[in-house]
Amino acid sequence: MRIGDYKESYAADEAVFSTPTSRFWLGVLFAAMAAFPFFAGDYLLYMANITGIAIVAALGLNILTGATGQISLGHAAFIGIGAYTSAILTNRFGLPYLLCLPLAGLAAAFFGILVGAPSMRMKGLYLCITTLAAQVIFEFLFVHWETLTGGIRGLNVPAPEVFGLKIDSEFSFYWITAVVVIIAATVSRNLFRTRMGRAFIAIRDRDISAELMGINLFRYKLYAFAISSFLAGIAGSLWVGHLRSITPEHFPLHESIRYLAMIIVGGLGNILGAIYGAIFMTMIPELLQSVLKYFESMFPQAMAFLFPLQTVVFGLLIVVFLVFEPHGLAEIWCRIKNFFRLWPFKH
Amino acid sequence: MRSKILQSLILAACLSLAAGLAGAAETVKISAQQPLTGRFAFAGKHLHQGLADSLAYANEQGGIGGLKIEYIYEDTGYDLKRAIASFKKIMAKEHPVMNYGESTGEGKALAPEINNKYKILYGSTSFSQELADREKNPYMFVSGPTYAQQFGLLLKYIADHPKTKGKKATVAFFYSDTEFGRDPIPYAREMAKKLGVKVVAEEITKVGAVDVSSQILDLKRHNPDYCIFQGYVVPPIPSVIKGARDFGLDTTFMGTFWAMSKMLLGKLGADGEGYMGVCPYAYWGQTDVKMIKTIRDYNQKHHPKVDYRPNSYMQGWFTGMIFVKVARMCKERGLPITGPNLKDMLPLVKEWDTGNFAGKISFKDSNATGVGRVYVARKGEFVPASDWIYLK
Repeated sequence: MRIGDYKESYAADEAVFSTPTSRFWLGVLFAAMAAFPFFAGDYLLYMANITGIAIVAALGLNILTGATGQISLGHAAFIGIGAYTSAILTNRFGLPYLLCLPLAGLAAAFFGILVGAPSMRMKGLYLCITTLAAQVIFEFLFVHWETLTGGIRGLNVPAPEVFGLKIDSEFSFYWITAVVVIIAATVSRNLFRTRMGRAFIAIRDRDISAELMGINLFRYKLYAFAISSFLAGIAGSLWVGHLRSITPEHFPLHESIRYLAMIIVGGLGNILGAIYGAIFMTMIPELLQSVLKYFESMFPQAMAFLFPLQTVVFGLLIVVFLVFEPHGLAEIWCRIKNFFRLWPFKH
Repeated sequence: MRSKILQSLILAACLSLAAGLAGAAETVKISAQQPLTGRFAFAGKHLHQGLADSLAYANEQGGIGGLKIEYIYEDTGYDLKRAIASFKKIMAKEHPVMNYGESTGEGKALAPEINNKYKILYGSTSFSQELADREKNPYMFVSGPTYAQQFGLLLKYIADHPKTKGKKATVAFFYSDTEFGRDPIPYAREMAKKLGVKVVAEEITKVGAVDVSSQILDLKRHNPDYCIFQGYVVPPIPSVIKGARDFGLDTTFMGTFWAMSKMLLGKLGADGEGYMGVCPYAYWGQTDVKMIKTIRDYNQKHHPKVDYRPNSYMQGWFTGMIFVKVARMCKERGLPITGPNLKDMLPLVKEWDTGNFAGKISFKDSNATGVGRVYVARKGEFVPASDWIYLK
């Protein structure tokens, strides 16, 4: 049981990781993250990279949908805008990758603001449909603005260079992903300790009350759209730096839905939730397949039935998680943590 | 209960690890990533089975000069991210020298790394032009003619078979607004011009389009002799053909590889009679073709319950034949079977006679074959309507 948790200064009160235990575990996490690429092979590093990219994008959607309550069905399109911006800036202007990253974010944020503009007059499902429209429009542009996007064939980009080093392996890209994920998570976490973050939550919980408290709804909703798309754009830029090729088919509607599923499964409005959700949605299909592969050696004939089962099990897992814990994976984690914190007492 | 499940899972994981470490005799490793689940699973399972059977059959025939072939596969769910993950997983664990990928997207995304890092021979289920470009992607090949070449083959057939004697044939292109749909169109326009076939209409739809009435009306206005579909597997082909018949059009409808399955004929029903298209391989029903007989005998022996194999199975089987062919060429020349050597063998494949299974195969100036045959549907089966057509 944790005792003696006294806060003696404002700084201590404001700390995100307020106890030595949590700081210790954070240190362990960072150490593990730094050691991981030296032990992991290409496959695990690839999984880490795409999970990292998913985390950045999910953190973005979490700010808009989880914290501000504006459901967006256009998140994949913003990732696409970031990816195309990054690819075009690299190919046409030869800008260095580290500059492309924030610029891709800014471009996505700009379009995020445009798409968010109808939120002045609309909310809830109506706004959701306008974001769906944005998804369709941008997808159309990716395909048909051939001079800029390369049409259906998409664009190929050279491997990014950072400080003179060529980032052309999973190992080297891991460091970029890891740093961006840490920055994105830190920024998101701290955002909710500012006026802006609190305004977002107020808008989500009751927009009329928020307005009565002096929050300019329209402006703050646009902020949410901008920040969310900014992170999506960064994720897009990471995607293109990692994969080195993009086509419009990388950013379909069901990708947007997958991101929504991530933050719902993880826990809406919760930073850890977005991270867990992204990890869950990326890793579970892989894990399921590994388990099935094991059974294959025992029942080679049954594979025709077992393989399709993966999708069913994956769907069921999501349903079961949500039935038993509507607040998502983050809440489950919280309960585990509390158990240890209070141990040996129950309450 | 929970701990028991956990224990057995851990045990299972350990066992599989041990099993992986145990088998390490020298083999030629060939891997595949195919969609055994997801929306393309209906073809993926046949593509996978075709390759698996083809390689097992080659093993029965003595493997690669005595070396056994080992086949490793992973399911991708037709998801690009998972396909790449499976590829990397296999590459890290098994180090295969040849690989069979699932889609155009996967090939494109992996191209830089295959060219510079992995250097293995890469075939796939895609017929995209980009993957047959030897200059750009020397390690990648297409197991047949590219979509563009398939259009070329059909247009050649059309030019030779005008509906009214002495009058130029007219054609319409009907394609989906996807890479799959648009890939061959620019080439097809050029080819039509060269062959003197007039393109009277181009109809574009979304992929699973339901309402195609405006496109059918447009077809009616132009009344083409032939109409070629591209970028669809089944829908909206049945509704287009039915609609056209209702309007009394006597247009001959045609398809490329993916729209040349028996499944489509099943959906077309009576409207399917006379439907044509190009396929680079022979069909299950052509028992006079030697390789088809071999395939049927193999299936009789190992999968006695199977009574039909679709053209996607033939694609898997034929890709397996190419893999085995180039590996044996390496072996005959006394070269080690490595990706770079296998890649160098590909351009040396010339006039390889596969009987009537896939014509005479040469990978001359591109990593695609440029050969196919036009088939026509008769009573729910595809039968040859032409001999093998070769694009110069």
